[in-house]
Amino acid sequence: MSSIEVFSTPGEVLGSLAVYAPGPGTYAWGGNVVSSVVGLQRVVPPSPDAPDQRPIIEVSREKEQGAVPGPGAQVTAKIRKVQPRQAIADILCVGTRAVKEKFRGLVRQQDVRATEIDKVDMHLSFRPGDIIRAEVLSLGDARAYFLSTAKNELGVVSATSDAGAQMVPISWQEMQCPVTFQKEFRKVAKVV
Amino acid sequence: MAKRRGEVAASYAVDANSGVGEAAFSRGPARLLTADGDRHDGRQLHECRLNFLKTGAVSSAAGSAYAEIGQTKVIVSVFGPRESHKAEAFSGIGRLNCNVQYASFATSVRGKANQGAEEKEFPVLLHKALEGAVMLHTFPKTTVDIFALILQSGGGDLPAVISCASMALADAGIAMYDLVSAVSTGYVGKEVLLDTTLEEEKCSDGEMMVTFMASRNEITQLKITGQWPDATMREALSVSLDACAKLANVMRECLKEELAGVDEDE
Repeated sequence: MSSIEVFSTPGEVLGSLAVYAPGPGTYAWGGNVVSSVVGLQRVVPPSPDAPDQRPIIEVSREKEQGAVPGPGAQVTAKIRKVQPRQAIADILCVGTRAVKEKFRGLVRQQDVRATEIDKVDMHLSFRPGDIIRAEVLSLGDARAYFLSTAKNELGVVSATSDAGAQMVPISWQEMQCPVTFQKEFRKVAKVV
Repeated sequence: MAKRRGEVAASYAVDANSGVGEAAFSRGPARLLTADGDRHDGRQLHECRLNFLKTGAVSSAAGSAYAEIGQTKVIVSVFGPRESHKAEAFSGIGRLNCNVQYASFATSVRGKANQGAEEKEFPVLLHKALEGAVMLHTFPKTTVDIFALILQSGGGDLPAVISCASMALADAGIAMYDLVSAVSTGYVGKEVLLDTTLEEEKCSDGEMMVTFMASRNEITQLKITGQWPDATMREALSVSLDACAKLANVMRECLKEELAGVDEDE
């Protein structure tokens, strides 16, 4: 790299809050921007339409803190168990980052789709083994994160049929096996 | 770093000839201090032991660190953030789960340290020392597990574990307000001995352990046991804080060196 690399460690003062804004990997304390992680220090110009026109200091490195699901995040999960009122899933990815160890997610009956939520049949929406895209509604309870698939682009993205073939979506609530032509019901995601 | 390690070995070899064993069995400060007023390992009263620090010691962990402070050797691995244990209640912020163990060969008598009260006390003290420094809100509902293993007990075990754990957390990329460095101080006879060894700990009338966030100038934990005259306690505290600040600089240096090394490899 041609530019000078400056590394910083937690607790190091990076600059004054009057000049800089704190970015990822930093926090504001005592009128200063202070580093909170070990990494490469970078100054990023603010986006032209941002109300705050101070340059942003970031600290980052390749090895980051492991991904953790948070409210509003899009996750990829694998259905583990389908019950009449809820489906239990293992969260595999948060956004584009894979998690090191699985987190438990829960899609409740009322969160499967946006319309006719009281007529949802869980068994016609998911099957164990399906890969779904979902949004984290909330941190949930002590056991699981609450997930929602109540958007067009959310739902089952990958499923296998009884014959073991990868199924093809044919409508927003049906998928078809390319081998046996059997149709199965799913809450299908409209992948764009 | 490597040359420091060499120095450690050299300085301790000299002491072996100057009657360390004798001092260890005697009570009182007379034998702990030489005629010149130096300590039995050749240090001044307010001088730290030589240290060797390294991150990334355990490849399977999210972050890890190894620390040698004099004869004390510890290894700390950090896992997570990962899903909290099912039995635990919901928590809007993250949790730290601390675990400190002595290796069965850590003490001069095999397996002896494992039965002590320290085994139960250390995890609690480690948790208290770190919880103020870690940004727990960055990993809500999840747990970060910290496993510390004391490989050799040479005095100041807990401070070594705390400093090492804060480096391991930094190595794991977990957001912290500041690094935590820790040091223990002993009150022996009429003297304040900084960074006490096992022999000095045995002979001391009072012990003080300070864990400090140097760049924020905040103490996260202060543990004082035994008898301390007021003026001496103040002296010990200021000496400890100074030592913590210096240790923090060494820790920063080590973390940066590690980072620079990674870049060169690529």
